Amino acid sequence: MTGEQILQRQHRRERLADATKKLVCIALVCITLIPFYISVIYSIKYKSEITINHLAWPKNPTLDNYIRVITENEQFLVGLKNSVLTTIPTIFLLMIVCSMAAWVLARNNTRFYSLMYTVMTMGTLIPFQCIMLPLYLNMYKAGLVSTNLGFIIARSGLQVSISILVITSFVKTVPRELEQAAEIDGCGKFATFWQIVFPLLKPINATQLVLNTVYVWNDYNTAVVLLRDKASRTLPLAQIVYFNENTAELNLAFAFFIMAMLPILILYFSLQRYVVSGVMAGAVKG
Amino acid sequence: MKYSKDNQLARGRRVRQLKTQGTNLLFLLPAFALFAYVVLIPFLQGIPYSFTNWKSIISDKKEFNGLHNYILMLKNTYFQQAFVHTLTFTVIYDIGANVLGLAFALLLFQNSKFANACRTMMFLPFTTALTSAAIVWSYVYTDVYSVLFGAASPLGQSSQVVAGMAVIAIWRDMGYCMLIYIAGLKAIPGDYYEAATLDGANTLQRFTNVTLPLLVPSFTSNVTLLLAWGLRCFDYPMAVARNMEAAQTSAMFIYDYIFGYSKAGLGQASAVMLTIVLVLLTRVVTYFFRKSEVEA
Repeated sequence: MTGEQILQRQHRRERLADATKKLVCIALVCITLIPFYISVIYSIKYKSEITINHLAWPKNPTLDNYIRVITENEQFLVGLKNSVLTTIPTIFLLMIVCSMAAWVLARNNTRFYSLMYTVMTMGTLIPFQCIMLPLYLNMYKAGLVSTNLGFIIARSGLQVSISILVITSFVKTVPRELEQAAEIDGCGKFATFWQIVFPLLKPINATQLVLNTVYVWNDYNTAVVLLRDKASRTLPLAQIVYFNENTAELNLAFAFFIMAMLPILILYFSLQRYVVSGVMAGAVKG
Repeated sequence: MKYSKDNQLARGRRVRQLKTQGTNLLFLLPAFALFAYVVLIPFLQGIPYSFTNWKSIISDKKEFNGLHNYILMLKNTYFQQAFVHTLTFTVIYDIGANVLGLAFALLLFQNSKFANACRTMMFLPFTTALTSAAIVWSYVYTDVYSVLFGAASPLGQSSQVVAGMAVIAIWRDMGYCMLIYIAGLKAIPGDYYEAATLDGANTLQRFTNVTLPLLVPSFTSNVTLLLAWGLRCFDYPMAVARNMEAAQTSAMFIYDYIFGYSKAGLGQASAVMLTIVLVLLTRVVTYFFRKSEVEA
């Protein structure tokens, strides 16, 4: 056998290994996505078809279920309204207050600031169960229970610790020179932050935006404690109620699930590269 | 003359310093205020509640009763059961998600369009609500698992319900673990592998002697994070096993005792206990991982 043949054989073997690996990956991805597949096909089937043929692609796909979820009772629309009106303010509030605080915490390491950092990131170790009773009482006295504002405050407060942790470690990787140059040019602290630092934090803020949206939009635990009125329910709460009322009409429950998830999916796929790189960046230093 | 000029300069510097400090505090204030109102103050308020016989959130009557709640709680069979369920759930979930996350990371850590696309899809379950994941999975169990393997859905059986929920949690969070392991793998310098290969190490040896030790920071971060998520397990059983005794977790126990059964003091004591367990376990895990950490 000539050297060239050996090389060729080796090359072929490598290509085969690579192809096998890709096939394994595709198979694993498909298995992982089964629950999504089920949700989609159940949501576009008529009720009669679900019981006959569980997993096959529907013969006559329909959007009826979606229309019925939206029009037949208010739960979905009320939930959607509340989820939008709480999630959007929360993520932007967090983005602004946490980048401001993280900048100060990353750039000052006197004892006071390290203490503040320790205290503010300690929250990652406190389970919600431990604070929900006093938080509920305080909010009840302040008239914040079952209101969008109350939920915004609670969810923002609960995300502060992890956001500060992640953004501070990111700020530490941003060189100081630009800020120092700006200050020498007579730029005030506020101007320096908004014009120089904040734009540099765009990658980490994009990541945090998506992750915080996921956490707030999907939150059930805080919502079930603080949102006691029917009119204040967010989507996850509305979904469980709806699901329990409609176990007989699965197709409706799944149409609800898909629609509740859609905004997150759109956001995730459009900011996907920030999320993947951001989670990884936060991990190494965090 | 010169003296007063120096004085003036020093004063100017001091004023500037004070101003900087002031702005710094102003920058910190909004985040700190949110954190204090939602987490810090309630946390400090909650500890004294756990030493009272407070019954329900609508009554103001509460008297100090020392460690009574804690003793009552430790003797309570429901509490013991819930604690065992929570720990079982956490162990299966934490190990499962980390093992699968690491396996996927090893398959997908190279930079290519294909690997990137796979990563994006693998992370997708993480974007679903825990409650939605649980509800959809209850149908994966009855309509796929049961049909394929001829076994009944684990969510319907007392002996399997905790494991069944752990599988849902593994499915949802393994993509997150994967990303963190990929970050860890990328941080390992390529020359380490070359050196190991030159020394005659085979693939397995390179994995156990180079990859694993250098991944310790990623292990620490993943295992402690999932430990915290697992011990708080609440959404899954609330969504699919609300009335199953075998699926009650500590978080549900706390919720029921505070908001349902009018035993707020006892519920709060269990919550404090959960926090202590969480902090201790996190410390222990971090300690053991830190001990085996090596410098890259």
